[in-house]
Amino acid sequence: MSDRPVEFRGLGFAPQPVRYAALAAFAVLLAIWEYAGRAGLVSPIFLPPPSTIAKALADLWAQGLLLRHLSESAYRLVFGWGLGTFVGLAAGFAMGIWSVSRAIGVPFVSALFPIPKISLLPLLILWLGIGEASKVATIALGVFFPTVIATYAAIDAVPRNLIRMGQSFGLPTSDVLRKIVLPGALPGILAGFRISSSIALILLVSAEMIGAQYGIGAFVLQAGNLMLTDQLLAGVVILSILGLAIGTGLGQLEKRLLRWR
Amino acid sequence: MFPISRRAALAGLGASLAAPAIVNAQAPAKTSVGVLRLSSSGPVFVAAERGYWRDLGLDVELKYFTAAQQVPVAVTSNDAEFGVTGLTAAFYNLAGRGALKIVASQARDEKGFPLTAYMATNAAYERGLRSPKDYAGKRIGITTTGSTFHYMLGLIARKYNFDINGVTLVPLQTLPNMQAAFKGGQIDGILAPVTLARALEADGSGKILAWAGDETPWQLGALFTSPRAIDTRRNVVERFIAGYVRGAADFHAAFNLRDAAGKEIYGTNYAETLSLVARAVQQPTELVAQGLPYIDPQGRLDVGDIYAQVAFWQQANLVTREVNARDVIDLSFVRGHMNVPRG
Repeated sequence: MSDRPVEFRGLGFAPQPVRYAALAAFAVLLAIWEYAGRAGLVSPIFLPPPSTIAKALADLWAQGLLLRHLSESAYRLVFGWGLGTFVGLAAGFAMGIWSVSRAIGVPFVSALFPIPKISLLPLLILWLGIGEASKVATIALGVFFPTVIATYAAIDAVPRNLIRMGQSFGLPTSDVLRKIVLPGALPGILAGFRISSSIALILLVSAEMIGAQYGIGAFVLQAGNLMLTDQLLAGVVILSILGLAIGTGLGQLEKRLLRWR
Repeated sequence: MFPISRRAALAGLGASLAAPAIVNAQAPAKTSVGVLRLSSSGPVFVAAERGYWRDLGLDVELKYFTAAQQVPVAVTSNDAEFGVTGLTAAFYNLAGRGALKIVASQARDEKGFPLTAYMATNAAYERGLRSPKDYAGKRIGITTTGSTFHYMLGLIARKYNFDINGVTLVPLQTLPNMQAAFKGGQIDGILAPVTLARALEADGSGKILAWAGDETPWQLGALFTSPRAIDTRRNVVERFIAGYVRGAADFHAAFNLRDAAGKEIYGTNYAETLSLVARAVQQPTELVAQGLPYIDPQGRLDVGDIYAQVAFWQQANLVTREVNARDVIDLSFVRGHMNVPRG
C-alpha cells in the first residue's frame, strides 16, 4: 500500500449552470421548423412556421388586443390562484398539524382532486353565473387540491426531532409552528406553487370557456374553433411565456425565502 | 333483381376462374365519409343503408364525429375522403387554403322547417324581447365564434338592419353550458337546436321567438371533398355524389313535402325512412321527426349564399382575406345550382 493521497473521485453529477445551451437548442429547433415550412415539407395548415406565428403575434399587438387579452387573463389568474392557494394553505396546514382534520381531509382530497373541473362548468355557471366569479372559481378549484397535498406533505417532511427538541425546551406552540414547521415546510410548499401555478395556466383555457370574450384562453379557444392554426400557436406561445415568467418569479422567491439553506 | 340466364352465370363463373385479375378490377372502390349523427346527414344514412353506393361499385365507410369542426379537419388530414356538415368559419379557413371543395348541398334552412330557434329567457321576454329583431344590444349565448349560430345572428342583424357588433355574443362552447347560462338568466337569449328549444320551452325556462328557417333561409350545410380527390379520383367522386343525391332525393320525398297550407305531408316511405334515420342518429323516432331539415332532392346549392357567408366572415375578421368563395366550390358535379353569381 502506498501512502499517496487518494484523489477525490466522488464528484457525483453536480449540475452546473450551462448558460447558452438551452437557447442554442431552441434556436436550432426553430430554424429546422421554419425551414420545413418554407421548403413545403409540412403544410402550413398542419404546422405554421415560426415566422407566421410571429406575424400573428404582431397583428395581435397592432390591433391592441394583446394587452387586453393579457390583462383579463392576469386578473383571473391572480385571483384564482391567490384564492386557491390561500384556502389550500390553510387546509394543508390544518391537515399537517391536527390528526382529526387530516382524517377528514385526506379522503376528501382523494375523492375530489381527480374530478375534471371542465365537467363542472355547467354547474359552476348555474351557481356563480358567467361573470368573473365562475372563471376565478374554476382556477381556484384546480389550484386548491395540489396546494393542500404539497402543504401537508411538506409539513410531514419537517424533521420530527427538531420539532420534538423545540417542544422539549418549552417553546410555545406558536413559536414551534412559526420558527420550525413553517421554514421547514417552505421548500415543499414552494415546489407545490410551481405545480399549482402551471395548473392555473392550464385551467385558464377551461375557465375562459365560460363566455369570455377576451383573455388568452378565450383567444386560443377561438383560434381553434376557427381553425386559424397560426393564431392558435401564437396563443400557446403566450401561455408558454407566461409559464416561464411565473417559473422565473418563483425561482427568485425561492432564492429569497430559502436563503437560510 | 335482374334475371340471370344459366349460360351467363356459367360464363361469368368461367371468366372469374380464368381471369381473377379482372374480378379484382371490379372489386368496389373503397372510400369514406365523415358525418355527425344528425338528421341533416340523412342522405348519407339512406344511401348507405339502401345500398346506393354499393350499386355504383363503391364501398363507403361511415366515420362518425361529434362536432361540426372535426369533419372538415378529418377531410383535410385525409382521415375521410368526403365530409358532410354545417358550414362554419373554420370550414372556410380550411377550404380557402386549398384543402377542401364543396361539391353538393346538405341541409338548407327553409320556411316551414323549424331547425334552429331564436329564444328569449323569461326575464328578457318580460322586458320586451319579443322578436329576433329585438336582439340588438342584448347578450346572446352561442356555442362558438364562427359557428352556424353566429352566422344566423349575422343574418338577423342584416334582415332587421341593426349592427351585429352591438350584440354581445357570449361564446359558451357547449350546449350544456348554454343551457345553464340560459336557465340561470345570465344571458338574454340563445340560439338553440329544435329539440333543446322545445325542451326549454316545455319546462318553462324561456320562450321560442322565431325559427331561423322562417326568418332567414340559408345554405346550412354541404357535402365536400379534397381537391386532391377531385383531381386523382374524379370517377369515385362522381359515383359518390350520385349515390348521395339518390339518398337526398329519398329523404326529400319522405320528409320535405308540404300541402298548400304549409302542413307536413307524410311522403314516400315516411315511416321506414324515419326509422332508418332514427337508428343512425341513435335517437327516438318522435324526437327525430321534430327536427327534420329541408334537403334539396338534387343536391343543388344556394351558391350566392356561400358567397355571402364568406363575405360575412371576412367582414367580421374571422376568415382570412385570401379566401375566395369561387375557389371553395366545384359546381361541375351537380347540375342546376341556384343563385349562381355571375363572373
